[in-house]
Amino acid sequence: MLPTLRLLILLLAACAWGEHTSNWAVLVSTSRFWFNYRHLANVLSLYRTVKRLGIPDSQIILMLPDDMACNPRNAFPGTVYNNADRALDLYGDNIEVDYRGYEVTVENFIRLMTDRVGEDMPRSKRLLTDDRSNILVYMTGHGGNEFLKFQDAEEISAFDLADAFEQMWEKKRYHEILFMIDTCQANTMYSKFYSPNILATGSSEIDQSSYSHHADNDVGVAVIDRYTYYNLEFLESQVQEPTSKLTMGDLFDSYDEEKIHSHPGVRYDLFPGGESEARSRLVLDFFGNVQNVEVEGGERKNETQWQQELAAIERMILEAQRRHNESLATGPHPEHLVEEAKAVEMMQAQRREGAMRVDEESGWQKQLVGAAALLGCAGMWAAASWLDQRGKLV
Amino acid sequence: MALISTLLALRKDARLLKIPPYLSALCIIVGVVWLLVLPLQEYSRNTYVSENALLPGQVHTYFTGSEHNIFRAYRHEVASLGDRTTQERNQRLGDILRSSNLKVATQKYSYATSGRNISDENVYAILQGPRADATEAIVLIAAWRNMDNEINHSGVALVLTLARYFKRWSLWSKDIIILISGDSTSGPQAWVDAYHNSHNPETIESLSIKSGALQGAIAIDYPAGPWGHRYDKLHIVYDGVNGQLANLDLFNTAVSVASGQMGIGCTLQRMWKHDDSYKERLQTMLRGMISQGVGHASGPHSSFIPYHVDAITLQTVGDGWHDEMSLGRTVESLFRSLNNLLEHLHQSFFFYLLLHANRFVSIGTYLPSAMLIAVNFSITSIALWVASGRAGKIPNPASTVPPATPGEKSTSSITTKTPMTVAKKDGMIALIPTALLQTNERALFLPLAFVLATHFLGLLPLYIFNNTHSSYLDLTFTIVALLSTLLPHLTAFSLKRFSRPTEQETILIQCFSLLLLGMFLAALATLNFSLSVLIGIATSPLTFIRSTKNKPVSGALSLLLAVLNPMVIIRGATFYFGQDIMSVLVKAAEGWHVWGLWTQVVVWLVWWPAWFAGSVVVSGGLFA
Repeated sequence: MLPTLRLLILLLAACAWGEHTSNWAVLVSTSRFWFNYRHLANVLSLYRTVKRLGIPDSQIILMLPDDMACNPRNAFPGTVYNNADRALDLYGDNIEVDYRGYEVTVENFIRLMTDRVGEDMPRSKRLLTDDRSNILVYMTGHGGNEFLKFQDAEEISAFDLADAFEQMWEKKRYHEILFMIDTCQANTMYSKFYSPNILATGSSEIDQSSYSHHADNDVGVAVIDRYTYYNLEFLESQVQEPTSKLTMGDLFDSYDEEKIHSHPGVRYDLFPGGESEARSRLVLDFFGNVQNVEVEGGERKNETQWQQELAAIERMILEAQRRHNESLATGPHPEHLVEEAKAVEMMQAQRREGAMRVDEESGWQKQLVGAAALLGCAGMWAAASWLDQRGKLV
Repeated sequence: MALISTLLALRKDARLLKIPPYLSALCIIVGVVWLLVLPLQEYSRNTYVSENALLPGQVHTYFTGSEHNIFRAYRHEVASLGDRTTQERNQRLGDILRSSNLKVATQKYSYATSGRNISDENVYAILQGPRADATEAIVLIAAWRNMDNEINHSGVALVLTLARYFKRWSLWSKDIIILISGDSTSGPQAWVDAYHNSHNPETIESLSIKSGALQGAIAIDYPAGPWGHRYDKLHIVYDGVNGQLANLDLFNTAVSVASGQMGIGCTLQRMWKHDDSYKERLQTMLRGMISQGVGHASGPHSSFIPYHVDAITLQTVGDGWHDEMSLGRTVESLFRSLNNLLEHLHQSFFFYLLLHANRFVSIGTYLPSAMLIAVNFSITSIALWVASGRAGKIPNPASTVPPATPGEKSTSSITTKTPMTVAKKDGMIALIPTALLQTNERALFLPLAFVLATHFLGLLPLYIFNNTHSSYLDLTFTIVALLSTLLPHLTAFSLKRFSRPTEQETILIQCFSLLLLGMFLAALATLNFSLSVLIGIATSPLTFIRSTKNKPVSGALSLLLAVLNPMVIIRGATFYFGQDIMSVLVKAAEGWHVWGLWTQVVVWLVWWPAWFAGSVVVSGGLFA
């Protein structure tokens, strides 16, 4: 009986380890030139979104082959917009481009993914992931059946990409990958993947084009692609804070072919647990930087609440000390002893609680649940020992 | 094996020599029908913008409102310059451009042609793209006088207004050059030659300021006077010197911007009304072909095209409701599209025939027609070469002479009448017609010398027409026309005095002449398709004429050839199109000296020698 139990515990432990501890994003535009403004706007939009949801710049690899903000043709110098309303300047005050201009090549991309880089490669240009890292790989550009053009000069094939991911898996460079691609015939790009733990989605089927969403008549070019536009619409309007519990399934269900004008695809089969498991992954598992040290409760606290609680705990401690002192003064009594023991126990409990759960709100309810859980555990242990005893006797 | 031996046997078959004339005729007929089929919807395509970067009509245009007042003021300024000297005019135009903070320069030029002196002055300004790297430039042209020699009032005023307006934008990726040329043909030619340092600095001033590589040029022809004129359509002129064309993308962008964005109808090749019927499409195509074939400069843009700078002229035509501002906005949008270019226009077609503002035929579809016509000459030439090597007629061994009287055995003609040779090999005996075994020596000297001399003779009229004073051109034309009509007969007559050419030499003269004609036309078809087709059709009878001793037939053929004389055809064509032969000749000479026109080279060194050789061959029959 005991080995079974140990196995159970091990399994539970495995579940706990199975979650990721860091989030990375690789955002790639593969086309340059003014008329491809939208591809850079796509990537910059995604960049803003993942940054908003918590992935720090140090964990975002941004590849921009061209600088639209400084293009002389740009009627609004220094800006890139993804909407004709021009409400949001994607360039903003702070963007960190890791690979720019002619650095965006197939070779550099594959070297980045597989970390086959020279010693002098700065850390900002490396994907420093491990087997606990979730990676969002977003690509956009001009593509075709099983290839994606890089800067009109070369192309990456679906096989190259699949092999790169396999190498990453072998080198334990990722925990899970969300591969997202917005290009013509995008779904062919992930069709050759064969490494586990990859969830892939693309904008259009084979022999199908991806379309731009709308053009800005003052900038004079299309500013965003449809598939990216509707992904962003979901992320911006539904996933508003880093605690969102929306799942990838919700994101995929939000795709409306009528709006996107092509058939977006999703590939689940590489994911352990298949479709249901993949769909139940949180959006923030890939787009956010939610870590597993996340505390219980879920709701945010502000500074004053936190301080008030601390003060309350202090008061309780003082009260307990006072009563303890009082009890010492009145002399030893069995009741008092009991009371003293209780007070100390309570005090310790409170203190422990204070140290551990700073942002606890309904302490008593939680304590009850905790106590029940403890009792349950104790009961289980007792039952197990009893069963074990019996087994030995038999 | 059997097939090969059958084919080899056919080689000697006299019937084989009968095929080429029919084959040539078939080539000509298919070639012409091919051309007539092109305007059908099934054989032409809708135009499309091939270059991704152009994005035609995707920007809002802001050339409205107060710019209109400025335009009107400039138009009055321009109108007041109409009777000033060139110097004063350009001073004022330069001042206006300078007041818009542009760098201004002038360029004097003078050309001497047909005893005339064409001299004037260009004024131009450079708008440096505020954030551009000055490696590329686009040109906005308004000639002071348009092709009809009217003062381009509104066109010049619009260009001045646009220069001022463009200066306020910060989004130019290329410099913009504003050119106000003295006239519509030699002015832009002098300027573009000097821009590329290929001018003669003695007569044409070098440019004092320059910008980067020219990427495109748009000319405006809007001769409305100081009180304006509302027009109906834009006439887009796209053919350059020597039948070179602007990249189809530029034309398509202009059509797309004008009709798609601004709602202005577009027309081409002076087809003011076009109902998109087969007839109209055919007519448009033929007009385009004639314009291309003649190869003259059709507007200020024409001079740019030989430098691989794609250029078009926008000409306002008719009475309608479109005003100068809509033309200005069209140019603005067109310039925004050109501004988007990342490299030279290269995506779309450089060889095309337009049937309608948005239907075209590409070179792959139409070229076979010119090639078929050219090939017909080569086929005949080969047939004549083979024929010249034959000793005489060999009866068909398979044919039999029918028995003279019934009951008598029919005998093969070959055994009874033809001299035979007995051949023995490996104990086998065969009878072979002696003629088959004889080789016939070809006398090549006279035919070769004659054909070469004929082609060099063409240099004479070429020189004369390009260097005669304009007042004698009419007379010269008449004299040369008369001489060239008489010359074949004189030549044939004098050759007969020396009892030359022999029958074989006559055949060889025609053979070499047609061989050269076929070669030249095939090569020309890839450079100037229309000229090749036009000359091919005009010379097609040369395939079928043969020297004959039958005098009435020779006379009739001579008469036919007299009508096909290039001089007669040119005279007839100018008469048909209502042109004055004098002005045509003057323009041709100007083309030769100023624009680098090659059409007369083709006429005098390809067409005329072919006709001359054919005429001499036919005329020989008259003096036999």
